[in-house]
Amino acid sequence: MLNIDNLYAKIDKKAILNGLSLKIKPGEVHAVMGPNGSGKSTLANILSGKQGYEISGNVSYENKNLFDLAIEERAHKGLFLAFQYPLEIPGVNTSNFLKTSLNAIRKSNGKKELDALEFLKIVKEKASKLKMDEKILNRQLNVGFSGGEKKKNEILQMSLIEPKMAILDETDSGLDIDALKIVANGVNTLRNKERSFLIITHYQRLLDYIKPDFVHVLMKGKIAKSGCMELAEELEKVGYEKL
Amino acid sequence: MTNQIKTDFDKVIKYLKPPKENINLRKKSLNKFINLGFPQKKEEDWKFFDLNQIISSNIKDLKFFDKELFDKKNKILIPKNALPFKLFEHNKIIIANGAVHTIDFRYEDLKKINITNTAKNQSSNTNHSLAYLNSAFTTNYLKIIIKKNYSLNKPVILYNFTNEKITSTNINQRLDIVLEDNSRLNLINLFTDYSSDNFININHEFKVGKDSILKNYKIDDKENSNIKYFYNNIDLDQNSLVENFILSSGSKFIKNEINCNLQAKYASAFVSGIINLDGAKQHEIKTNINHLAENTKSYQLIKSVLNENSKGIFQGKIFVDSIAQKTNGYQLSKALLLNENAEFDGKPELEIYADDVKCSHGSTSGSLDENSIFYLMSRGLNHKEAKKLLINGFLLDVVEKITDLEIKKLIKEIIGVSE
Repeated sequence: MLNIDNLYAKIDKKAILNGLSLKIKPGEVHAVMGPNGSGKSTLANILSGKQGYEISGNVSYENKNLFDLAIEERAHKGLFLAFQYPLEIPGVNTSNFLKTSLNAIRKSNGKKELDALEFLKIVKEKASKLKMDEKILNRQLNVGFSGGEKKKNEILQMSLIEPKMAILDETDSGLDIDALKIVANGVNTLRNKERSFLIITHYQRLLDYIKPDFVHVLMKGKIAKSGCMELAEELEKVGYEKL
Repeated sequence: MTNQIKTDFDKVIKYLKPPKENINLRKKSLNKFINLGFPQKKEEDWKFFDLNQIISSNIKDLKFFDKELFDKKNKILIPKNALPFKLFEHNKIIIANGAVHTIDFRYEDLKKINITNTAKNQSSNTNHSLAYLNSAFTTNYLKIIIKKNYSLNKPVILYNFTNEKITSTNINQRLDIVLEDNSRLNLINLFTDYSSDNFININHEFKVGKDSILKNYKIDDKENSNIKYFYNNIDLDQNSLVENFILSSGSKFIKNEINCNLQAKYASAFVSGIINLDGAKQHEIKTNINHLAENTKSYQLIKSVLNENSKGIFQGKIFVDSIAQKTNGYQLSKALLLNENAEFDGKPELEIYADDVKCSHGSTSGSLDENSIFYLMSRGLNHKEAKKLLINGFLLDVVEKITDLEIKKLIKEIIGVSE
């Protein structure tokens, strides 16, 4: 699904990723943990196409060079990033945005675009599963949303789009324990043999609910250690410095 | 210009045949205009919009007389497709090439509306050179009085139509509207220009009586190469309200000037507008909101979207007289510059002589937020769609200020904004 090979990235001449390699197969859930400044968000940004980085190394997505794809093409081909800090977009109605996004992706895949009624039915159902207040759909996108609402809105988008490969960038930060469970449940519902996840986090607690297949520790821009769930538990006890 | 304008003036008088005392008023106005000339950038109010220079570099041959206009056999035909959008039921005033063409108040009780249409014009509320030019040359002096306690059933659309047959390069138009106490009017000004390279000088003066409501929407959307100056003076009496909305995007040059006088307590003025430009267009909105009595309120919101090498200008002034305690005045201007060659000039002004007032203003300009574009694109929208959605969002709150639902819908349709 996603194959990252010896990835280097610099921003303003500062090296952030230093030869990162990671292979994610269909259906696998990988967690990347790491201290502040280890390059976690940079990894997520680069994978989803954010500009401004000087990049070398190879990343293939479904056996194609990921860097040949424009930002929106990555989305069309099933790559999804749940943002660490979802942006507030004044004047843009949440429901309208979700519909535009979903239909842009459907259209690019040759599927019929949903009309307002069809869309509303689906979005209401998904929102209620995430225990989101329906009223949020009529508000401006993320404007005045609480931290938890913003993150849930990202998961709502993920569950509408049903991506092949979802990257969650610190989706757990700022969530209370109830919201954390709901978000984890949102991820678990989507888990299947084809769909892969890359979950970026500081803490073990989200992983307690999601149970990844692999856990990697990112230090100074490369994977310092890989393992399974026990590695996350160990980290929680001893911290990153001991590694 | 001086010889041309004098010759043309004589022709206008010959064909128009206004009453004698009116000829004198017109002559005086003409002389004042000749003395003052077109406004130039050295005048503070015109420093971002040098009309004299704009006219001299865009109109080769400035002429003030149009013979066709006075030929009764030559009634100007208005093409059916002059209006690209479907409109709701409305009363009509059509001004074609500067002269009154149609007045049709079919939805109203005509006993409640008094309409005068004469060549005998009145002096204006303002004394700048363009007002003199207007009063020297205007073909019709149209005055509409809405009688006490009458609310119009349907809105009035004033079509400002020009066609390519026009031979004068200057058009002057004057309209006065009086809303007697407790009356209501929704007025829409729609510019449909088929002429090019003309200077169109419009003066509308309003008196809004006690407890009356005037809603005035101005739509300049059709692409044209004309230069326009659209002046409004609005006097507001006790507990009256004016809502003014400007959609400024079609003309090559346009300056909308709104002068609101809140003359008695509890009067309020709401002015909002969108300047949406491409090419080398240059549009200005200039406001003077004069709080002249206690407990008056004003609110202004202007948003500009500037593409290519266009230029948007907002000069907004709130004046608070020393007796106008408990004034509440607000003004905000935001501009989105979508090209490094686009320009926005803003001049917010507060002039306050009372001590118990609440006044604020703000002005920002900037480009689209790259992170927001990235966010939207990561959700499958292409760059163009992401940009459109953000511009949409930027403009939506101004459109939401429109309180007339039919007109709000129309404006949304015109600028392609949806919720």
